[in-house]
Parts: sequence; C-alpha cells; structure tokens
Amino acid sequence: MGFGNLRSAAGLRLLNDFLADKSYIEGYVPSQADIAVFEAVATPPPADLFHALRWYNHIKSYEKQKASLPGVKKALGKYGPADVEDTTGAATDSKDDDDIDLFGSDEEEESEESKRLREERLAQYESKKSKKPALVAKSSILLDVKPWDDETDMAKLEECVRSIQADGLVWGSSKLVPVGYGIKKLQIQCVVEDDKVGTDLLEERITAFEDFVQSMDVAAFNKI
Amino acid sequence: MAVAAGLGPEAEELVLLEKSLGLTKGNKYGVQGERKSPVLQINNGPSLTGLATIATHLVKQAKKEQLLGKTAEEKAVVQQWLEYRVTQIALPCTKEDTRVILKDLNLYLEDKVYLARNNFTLADILMYYGLHHIIIDLTVQEKEKYLNVSRWFNHIQHYPGIRQHLSSIIFMKNRLFTNA
Repeated sequence: MGFGNLRSAAGLRLLNDFLADKSYIEGYVPSQADIAVFEAVATPPPADLFHALRWYNHIKSYEKQKASLPGVKKALGKYGPADVEDTTGAATDSKDDDDIDLFGSDEEEESEESKRLREERLAQYESKKSKKPALVAKSSILLDVKPWDDETDMAKLEECVRSIQADGLVWGSSKLVPVGYGIKKLQIQCVVEDDKVGTDLLEERITAFEDFVQSMDVAAFNKI
Repeated sequence: MAVAAGLGPEAEELVLLEKSLGLTKGNKYGVQGERKSPVLQINNGPSLTGLATIATHLVKQAKKEQLLGKTAEEKAVVQQWLEYRVTQIALPCTKEDTRVILKDLNLYLEDKVYLARNNFTLADILMYYGLHHIIIDLTVQEKEKYLNVSRWFNHIQHYPGIRQHLSSIIFMKNRLFTNA
C-alpha cells in the first residue's frame, strides 16, 4: 500500500493511476483519507496527470469543511494501491511520529528533516533491493544413467560420471537400482546452479562416455 | 412500480427521482405526444410538461435547492446538462449516437468529479438514470475506454438513495485494454 513519495513524479504517477477510476481515495465520499493524501501532495499535480489534478481540485473544494469529513486519518502508507510496497514507513524508527500531521501546521519545519529521512529510507530500500538478486537459484536433479548391458562396469561408469566437473555443479549420493536381467542403472543426485548448468549440458557430457552409457534421463528435478 | 407501468421511461425516472429526493407522496404522471413526455398536473395550477421541468419542480418541492447548483455558474451548468439529457439521451439511441455521447462525456468528465465540477446536482441524478440502460450494455472493454464516464457512473450509483431498484453495474480496472 501507499504511493511512495508524493512529492516525487513517480509517487504522483501512482496516485494518478490509482485515481483513474476512483473519485476518492477511499469509498464514494470525501473522507480523512483524502485529506491525509491531499496534505502529503502539498502542491497541485502537473496538468498531464489529470486524474490526480481533478482529485486535488475536488478535495481542495472541501478545504473549509475538512475537519468535519468522516473517517480517521491513518498513516499515509495505508492508502493507495495494494500491490505497491509501502515505502513511507519502511524503516520504522523513533521518528515515525513525524509522519502524522495532527494539526497541519508544522509542515514547514519538518519538511527539511523528513526529506532527509525519506531519502535515507529510499537509499536503504534500494540497497536492500539490490542485494536480493544475489541469492542464486539452485536445483536438485536426480539422474538415471543406464548402461549398455549387465557386463558394463558400474563402478567405472560412476567414476566417469563423477569426473564431470563444471562451475556450479556438485555431485551427491548415488545408488544402483536393478532394472532386470541383472542389469542395474545408476541413480545419482546432483545440485546445480540454474544459471550455470543445465540438464542439456549434463546429458551431453554424460552420454559422451559412450563406452559405458547407453542413455541418460532426468528422474526428478526440484527447485531449491 | 405499478404507477409507472405503461408510462414512458422518463416518467419512470421521475418516480425514481421522487424517491431519491425523499418525497413520499408520489405524484401521478400522464404522458403526452409521440415521445411520451411526462406531464404533471399540479393542484389548482397549470400542468408541467417535460422531464427537466418536472424534475426541477420536484427538487424545489423537496426543498433541496442545492441540487440545482449553488452559484449562478453552477445553475447554468446544471440546466445545460438537463437540456443535454433531454435532447441527446432519448430513446432510442443508435450505436453511433451512444458512441458520440460517451466520447463527449468522457472528455468532459476528465477533470471533474461531478457534472457540475465539485457538487452533486440534479444533472448527475438525471444523467445517471438516463445513461443506465446504455452503460449496462457496455462491454468491459468499452467501460475501460470511457474510463472517466465509468468512474463518474460508479460514483453516482454508490451515492446514497440514488440507485434504488436499478441494477448495480460492476466496473473493474483490469488494464487489459489500456489505450492511454
């Protein structure tokens, strides 16, 4: 929830989109919700954001009766589109009370301070966001490797498979599973980093040992 | 409404208007002419003819003069929309007529919350009643296209006491058809 910084172009654009099909911030009558957002906007939105401007002018016409409008003011971040992250109260700290403007008069003195605070929070949020993608996507794969016949040396086959090395590939446990007529297949676990190793690469490298390997299948593929 | 049965659509609208204004007495309407213009016979007085005239009379009768506009400018705008309502949105409308009406209205409402800008007036009520049968047939795509009309219409239909037995029309913003 929230429109972000309502003094920035991005925040106003969010407000504009939000108000495209609504006359008020909440419900169908003017309320304290409108007043709260109105006070945060402070200056008339530019003419190209006509939905925001229309709403701004409309709420302005209630200026004299704003105290008598229904509803209770909430923190700014509680209003607006539900799918937008609230940045106004993101890094809650002891300065949190600054956001609630009880009398609408201390606007001037807090603006400098709150501006700095907001920028700090934005920077914090940005850095948090940039760290997130560092988490690499990994998958656990269970491979079935089938030999040519019952005379294939399974120990040698496993050794061959494990000899395959690639960046982002880790071999796990393995076992031999009987398929019939004394033939056993090798079932082997491995963990890969999705971006670096694909099943195509594994298949290519494993089937390259054509003396031992007849075919290879992916038995299970799980995202971690 | 038994009284309204057989009357023209405009007389039915007036019955709705009476209720939304809180008039409980219930006037009896006659119809006149090919277009079935409503006629109201006032006790010991002349009869009133036409939707806008009778509607204005009803508003005064209900002592809700603010619905006719507060300032001279607002009053003029309300009268203008009542005229538009009577002359432009009359049954039957062709597809092309509807398109033009909605397009004009959409443009007009872009920077306004109510037809008379910031105040709810009789113009909103009668335009809502008059447009209901048009809006109800619109596709989701058209509602999205005439976004400003949709917003206004949705707003008016939620205004207390206005919608009554008319069906509530559902508007949703899905941004499938953004053409902005």
